Amino acid sequence: MKRIGFIVNPVAGMGGSVGLKGTDGNVGEARRRGAVPHAGERAQRTLEQLKTSKDLCFLTCAGSMGESALTASGLENYRVVYTSGNETSAADTRAAAQVFRKNGVDLILFCGGDGTARDIFSVAGRDIPMLGIPAGVKMYSGVFAVNPAAAAELIAGLDKAALRDSEVMDVDEEAYRAGTLDTRLFGIARTPVIRGMVAVSKQVYEQPDEERTKGEIAQFMQEVMLPGALYIIGAGTTTEAIVRYLGHQKTLLGVDVLKNGRLVAADADEQTLLRLTEKEKDVRIIISPIGAQGFILGRGNQQISPAVVRRAGIRHVIVVATPHKLQDIHELLVDSGDPALDREFGDSIQVICGYRIAQRKKVRH
Amino acid sequence: MYIIVQDNHCTMQTKILLDEEQMPKRWYNVQADLPTPLDPPLHPATHEPVGPDDLKAIFPMELIRQEVTTDRYIDIPAEVQDVLRLWRPSPLYRAFRLEKLLKTPAKIYYKWEGVSPAGSHKTNTSVPQAYYNMKAGIERIATETGAGQWGSALAFATMLYDLECTVYMVRSSYTQKPYRKSMMQVWGAECIPSPSTKTKSGAAVLEKDPETPGALGIAISEAVEDAATHDNTNYALGSVLNHVCLHQTIIGQECREQLAMVDDYPDVVIGCVGGGSNFGGIGFPFAGDKMTGKHKDVDIIGVEPASCPTLTKGAYMYDFGDVAGLTPMLKMFTLGHDFVPPSIHAGGLRYHGDSPIVSRLVHDGVMRAISCHQSEAFEAGQIFSRTEGIIVAPETSHAVRCAIDEALKCKKTGEEKTILFNCSGHGNFDMSAYDAYYAGKLADYEYPDELIKEAIGRIPKIQ
Repeated sequence: MKRIGFIVNPVAGMGGSVGLKGTDGNVGEARRRGAVPHAGERAQRTLEQLKTSKDLCFLTCAGSMGESALTASGLENYRVVYTSGNETSAADTRAAAQVFRKNGVDLILFCGGDGTARDIFSVAGRDIPMLGIPAGVKMYSGVFAVNPAAAAELIAGLDKAALRDSEVMDVDEEAYRAGTLDTRLFGIARTPVIRGMVAVSKQVYEQPDEERTKGEIAQFMQEVMLPGALYIIGAGTTTEAIVRYLGHQKTLLGVDVLKNGRLVAADADEQTLLRLTEKEKDVRIIISPIGAQGFILGRGNQQISPAVVRRAGIRHVIVVATPHKLQDIHELLVDSGDPALDREFGDSIQVICGYRIAQRKKVRH
Repeated sequence: MYIIVQDNHCTMQTKILLDEEQMPKRWYNVQADLPTPLDPPLHPATHEPVGPDDLKAIFPMELIRQEVTTDRYIDIPAEVQDVLRLWRPSPLYRAFRLEKLLKTPAKIYYKWEGVSPAGSHKTNTSVPQAYYNMKAGIERIATETGAGQWGSALAFATMLYDLECTVYMVRSSYTQKPYRKSMMQVWGAECIPSPSTKTKSGAAVLEKDPETPGALGIAISEAVEDAATHDNTNYALGSVLNHVCLHQTIIGQECREQLAMVDDYPDVVIGCVGGGSNFGGIGFPFAGDKMTGKHKDVDIIGVEPASCPTLTKGAYMYDFGDVAGLTPMLKMFTLGHDFVPPSIHAGGLRYHGDSPIVSRLVHDGVMRAISCHQSEAFEAGQIFSRTEGIIVAPETSHAVRCAIDEALKCKKTGEEKTILFNCSGHGNFDMSAYDAYYAGKLADYEYPDELIKEAIGRIPKIQ
């Protein structure tokens, strides 16, 4: 029997249809503009497909935060463990996640957008896997299934599913409404993925073994890192593996700097990077695509600004990623904030994906 | 254009066929026309040139002689010719439909080697190799196979001469390509997933990494060890070695005859390259014409996968032929014998090194090499199947890609070049690869040569 924490952010996505670019703190305005909640319906589409799965037990919240969708879908094996006030809020999401955590769930299934993902991750962390049914305005995080049906397949096959890392993104909604997409890496969650034939660098493995590939990438990077060169290493678990291989602890969500195998700076901001690179002759940047959309610059690695990239030179940007990650990303995105720099990346880029092996991926900017 | 007038209407000739008695009676040895001899293979331990005695443990004397001889022609034994006639001479096609689709002024010809029982050019050498082993009193042959083409070709040949056959098949292919394994069974061979515990080299790899998917270099080590440790057993290789490429020259010789029948001679000759035997097979007779001054301008192009770009990105140096370092060291283009190429669907092109003769000719500029990504190759394979009908092997699709690109260049320049390529095998057992292509799941693997070159001093030396 699998215990699933199930939560719906009933207002998720409402801001989108009425041009609010997000619903955080704007539910009233969204309603006034005529927005109707639809997250519950989307959640129902997932749940309806789970009617035949006998070994699932849901822990949920009262009313529109979960219970309504479960009953409407004809599911009976659930228990209400949290009740919110009249108007639900981010605090309710976090509080419900807290109760799930206490009760011990195998996974939290939520229906919402980036904001909901962030709230749940802040409680679940990397301890409890999470999976999103997409219903929000913005979904830059990697924790969402492609659609409600795909979410159902993952839940139904949870026994056979493996877990993989996926970024949770933090979008500044105020700035976003003002026209600036300021997406930061909030955390790296664990998300189920169907074990299938995944082409991993050198071979096709029966099961995704992402850690093995990260190790391969790290080993190769260690071999090609040159003495005397300064290495700026971006956020993520693949880059983390590289720094760990070199014997240091990596700032998972931040940017670290290495030279001659030694850690020069941890969690460096843009100013630090500019200062450190000022007198360096040979600067290199190692980054990994961030988020569901596969951004290599502009999301989650903002410290590595256009000015920093120019210090290194576009030729010295080394992109690394596991084949698991690459198989879901058809093209990589570059949005550094400097369109001229973005164009310099050209139509495609080499992504190191194993020991002495790379993939050629299309780039969009 | 060659035209046959028939019943008052003109028919363009699609197939150019030789009669059975026109099948070449001799193999052409390009070593005879090299300006200076090849660098000799070196003993793996002493680094001294290997003599015939060093190879006697695993090869019959006649093949050792063919490996080193500089005689221009070597007679094909009558008993071998009898078998080759089961499918040879193979047809040469004019790709009218492909030309029409491309709207190219170029003439495209392809040599169709998929007519052999095993479905590829590999039987051209498996038959003589099995024959010479039988003549030498050998009872069993051990070999390796990557994609299964070679293993099935040798299984077919050993059956004809009543020899036992053990095939070490790269584990990932063994599970991915069950039908190649089934073919070997039909022809009576034993097929073992590699690495296995049957050999010391296989067991060593398994102990280090029980989950390993295997690699061609490991399977070679196992087959060589098997042959070296059993008196009644010899080893056979499906590509790379001089005598293997020699047996394949029947392809290029037939092409030259067939083109002469329509008063043509190629401006461009193309083959895909893994170990180099199908490319050498079609290319060496034309390389000979080039070196002897008969046709100085013929452009001979080998096409390799971007993920395993031995000729285009490798170093020209002495290296082992296998992972364990059991084989003699050969002077060739190599990515390092410890390089395990990624799992691309053109499994037959995944080899770290290359034929020493092909390497030498590329190094000297007599032939040249290019590389392409696997999705580009599959796209070309699809175009070919939808015009000429044949579904080519993923390996072969690399040659098709180059032929199409050369024809498109002619479209731009207006040149009416004659393009010839080796259509080395069918892809009827590779449909899962085509499925992956249509599902958009083919990753375009490539070799990060710039990073490696920059750091070359820090990468463990090939030794």
